[in-house]
Amino acid sequence: MSEPRIHGIVLGGVGGQGVLSLAQIVLEALRRSGLHALQSEIHGMSQRGGSVHAQVCFSEVPLSSPIIDEGCADLLIALEPLEALRYVAMLRMNGHLVVAEEPQVNMEGYPPLEDIYAALKAVRGCHLVDTEDLARKLNHRQAGGMALLGMASRFLPVSDAVWHDVITERFTAKGARVTEKNIEAFNAGRGLVQEAVGV
Amino acid sequence: MALGTLALGVEAVGCAAFDAGIKGAFGYPGTPSTEGFEFVEAMIHEAPEGRVAQWAANEKVAYDLALGVSYAGHRTLVTMKHVGLNVAMDAYANSALTGVRGGLVLLVADDPGMHSSQNEQDSRRLAKFAWLPVLEPSTVQECYDFTWRAFELSESLQVPVMVRLVTRLAHCRAHLVRREVLAPIGLGVAPKETIQDWVLIPSNARRRYVDLLAKQPRMVTELSSMNRIVAGTGRRGVAVAGMGRAYFEQLTLEHPELLDLPRLEVAAYPLDPGLEPVFLSLVDEVFVFEEDYPVLEERLTFQRAGTIHGRMDGALPRTGELTPRLLKDALGLSTADGKAASTLDLPVRAPRFCDGCGHVDAYEAMQEALQNIGKAEARVFGDIGCYTLAAQEPMSAIHAVVEMGASISMAVGAAMAGQTPSIAVIGDSTFGHSGLPALLTAADSGVNVTVMILDNRVVGMTGQQPSQALDQVERMVLGMGIPASQVQVLTPLPKQHEANVKAMEAALQHPGPSVVVFRRECIQSLRRGVLKEHDQELKACAEQACCNTEARQ
Repeated sequence: MSEPRIHGIVLGGVGGQGVLSLAQIVLEALRRSGLHALQSEIHGMSQRGGSVHAQVCFSEVPLSSPIIDEGCADLLIALEPLEALRYVAMLRMNGHLVVAEEPQVNMEGYPPLEDIYAALKAVRGCHLVDTEDLARKLNHRQAGGMALLGMASRFLPVSDAVWHDVITERFTAKGARVTEKNIEAFNAGRGLVQEAVGV
Repeated sequence: MALGTLALGVEAVGCAAFDAGIKGAFGYPGTPSTEGFEFVEAMIHEAPEGRVAQWAANEKVAYDLALGVSYAGHRTLVTMKHVGLNVAMDAYANSALTGVRGGLVLLVADDPGMHSSQNEQDSRRLAKFAWLPVLEPSTVQECYDFTWRAFELSESLQVPVMVRLVTRLAHCRAHLVRREVLAPIGLGVAPKETIQDWVLIPSNARRRYVDLLAKQPRMVTELSSMNRIVAGTGRRGVAVAGMGRAYFEQLTLEHPELLDLPRLEVAAYPLDPGLEPVFLSLVDEVFVFEEDYPVLEERLTFQRAGTIHGRMDGALPRTGELTPRLLKDALGLSTADGKAASTLDLPVRAPRFCDGCGHVDAYEAMQEALQNIGKAEARVFGDIGCYTLAAQEPMSAIHAVVEMGASISMAVGAAMAGQTPSIAVIGDSTFGHSGLPALLTAADSGVNVTVMILDNRVVGMTGQQPSQALDQVERMVLGMGIPASQVQVLTPLPKQHEANVKAMEAALQHPGPSVVVFRRECIQSLRRGVLKEHDQELKACAEQACCNTEARQ
């Protein structure tokens, strides 16, 4: 009998970008798909523009550790390119990265963007998303996070219907229009990888 | 809320307390404990039925509120972070002697690794110090189940019971299965014949201390089912507790050979002193995996020095958080070969003041005033809150931060030692928490100290909880004995900068104690409309002169 596989997702970004909110959507979607899932978050000063990250682990068997070891994550979802680079070593060799291109420059010494993009492109399995362009096309300023999730969904064992249900429930309180725009962003992101894989 | 739900570890404790029929929940905000209170507060808000949830001015007040509820015969929960228990320690240690009537459960969230704290003290040590039981869950479901158990134990042993979490569990979110919900049922006030138990004059206290020690064997017996030895085949064993237990259990999924190791699994203290010799007879060497201080490890080392591996012998780092990787390394398990870390130099993205935060304007006024009076190098005593961020480069505006309320007393002490000017910077909530007694001493001493109260009208850092000092700061300051002529209230806005600098200069040059209140609502709170309703009511009341809110302004 082979040992059960434990999967890990790392989510990274800057305080205020919605990293924890995204992690909760992923957690709930996995749980509804019949998997055992745990989420860990560190957010003491998260609203103050510092680095924020969360981890989600899941498996077909019950888990007790919410922490992913270095080199064991399958997927990195990063809402910011510099933040993505912090967590590359968390990924297993064949892991994937879904990364927003748009930088958040709220600090001293932010490295040149071309260096960051070059470093990311050198990592196998990296998918950069021009979230700014996508937000413009969708006429939805905050489409980035949901679009990244849509792209990331290609690597997760969750059906379209479950994703849509969870996202809908998450935004219901904010009205039908907001929900619709978020589903639209999710679908747009999901479409991006299909095209990339198809090439 | 459905019976199955997603919850953080601390939220699971709050949820269990509600379900176990508490009458009152109390606490003081502090990461990573805050959400525990907020969760039960939301549940009570939805279905009050006579229940109360109340943030307190500080942890000691919160604890004593809970003890009062217990005295009145009801179950109660009190929540705080580890350093908050230092503040509540007087109440906690002495409630061991009074005992409880209704079940009293104390949720303490420790912060090994100091993600958002000034130390990584281990609350299990404080429970031992007070001769009280502590339960240590390792999963979100255990947080819920153990809290139920804690209420039962509290009532059967008639002592407060601590549930101790650490950051990783406090902020682990997972599926939770709830039990039935009990309505708050009162046992009735502490009976007449027990009144002397609650009056800790020396003659009673001596008797109650003997009673407390006499309860220890019963504590061990009642907790014994929560600790166990699992026999194995090898002579190398592990002793695991808390997250060490969780991490080890998960490692056995990928390394089933670990199940052959004899194990000592600990989830509750005090431990049966007979357990360790039995376990040690099964093994030649032991790895101890527990979060924070070497509590178990020290006990085992006393019995078998030289063969116990953990934080004390260097098998694990002496400080910081336990991680699954540390377990793997200690046990000699292979670790995965992942992607190479980025070779690009990645600067740290530290937390910073929010754009438009009033604290920045207050500090800028202070720094310019110091410059103008030729004291740019003056040392400033800071305190705990968002405004602590000013200790970072490039602002470097505060030069000591120790614990809640320390700013004022340290500035007074330094002034007594001859430091001029001597400045304290403290937030409104921290002022209400433990700055008040310090200001009383400042006023009484008459020393040359300038106290800046950065009043953002909420407990900003932990998520804009209500501040007990709301609308009360000047009255509190005057009440402590600071003369009205030395109390200024300023608005920290860029357009007020010149006036604020002048006001600060005047305060700094006054030879006695002076207080400058910088008041502007936290911009996060403003964005969320936290005080919108409160301020509308205040305005309406002031217009109609319908109640005494005028006096509160």
